[in-house]
Amino acid sequence: MAKKIKNIFVQGPISPEFIGESIAHHSKKTGIGGHSIFLGQVRADKKEGNQEVEAIEYSSYLEMALEKAHEIREQTFEKYDLSCMHIHHSMGRVEKGEICLFVFTSSKHREPAINACNELVERIKKEIPIWGKEILSNKETNWKTNS
Amino acid sequence: MDKQKIKIRAFGLIAEKMETDDFDLEGLHDTDGVRMALLGKFPSLEKIDFAIAVDKELIDKNTSLKSGAEVALLPPFSGG
Repeated sequence: MAKKIKNIFVQGPISPEFIGESIAHHSKKTGIGGHSIFLGQVRADKKEGNQEVEAIEYSSYLEMALEKAHEIREQTFEKYDLSCMHIHHSMGRVEKGEICLFVFTSSKHREPAINACNELVERIKKEIPIWGKEILSNKETNWKTNS
Repeated sequence: MDKQKIKIRAFGLIAEKMETDDFDLEGLHDTDGVRMALLGKFPSLEKIDFAIAVDKELIDKNTSLKSGAEVALLPPFSGG
């Protein structure tokens, strides 16, 4: 049976409370022995002309992004022995210092959780059609590039 | 009469340069044709790096298009 495609997108920043609750939800899954979490935070990069990144405004090609995220999810479950996997990415405006990406993997032992989490972050940045527009202190904008 | 319609969707920097993100083009049958037509219409795209997806699949060579195909113009991804 085809699994339902999950929505990975959250409007605006991902709150620390949401992250905390997400961790708490796993206390009943007592087969888990290790969690790995990656949190991406909007960095106040310095730019030319004494400007600084104030916020990032995210947009996506939604239909393709969700399909791609689903494919990455299925392949990662296939490759690693995971109990759980959660991916949340912001859409719209996220201020500097706020969380824009939350990847959470759980497993019986630490190694699959850690490796899957790292691979997911790399693949999300490389393969999912999302774009970040940096809003600078003088209100000018600059399209972010991933290194 | 050649009236095959292709749906164009643009994102990020490309949409900003074109000042539109959703429109139709007629009479085109492959992605090279779309690329040529777009560069003719929007010369500023010449200097911008972008990939093309046909019906949500990235392509890496000229691809033929059926009527109603969705061709997306995708600048380098920068999520996270």
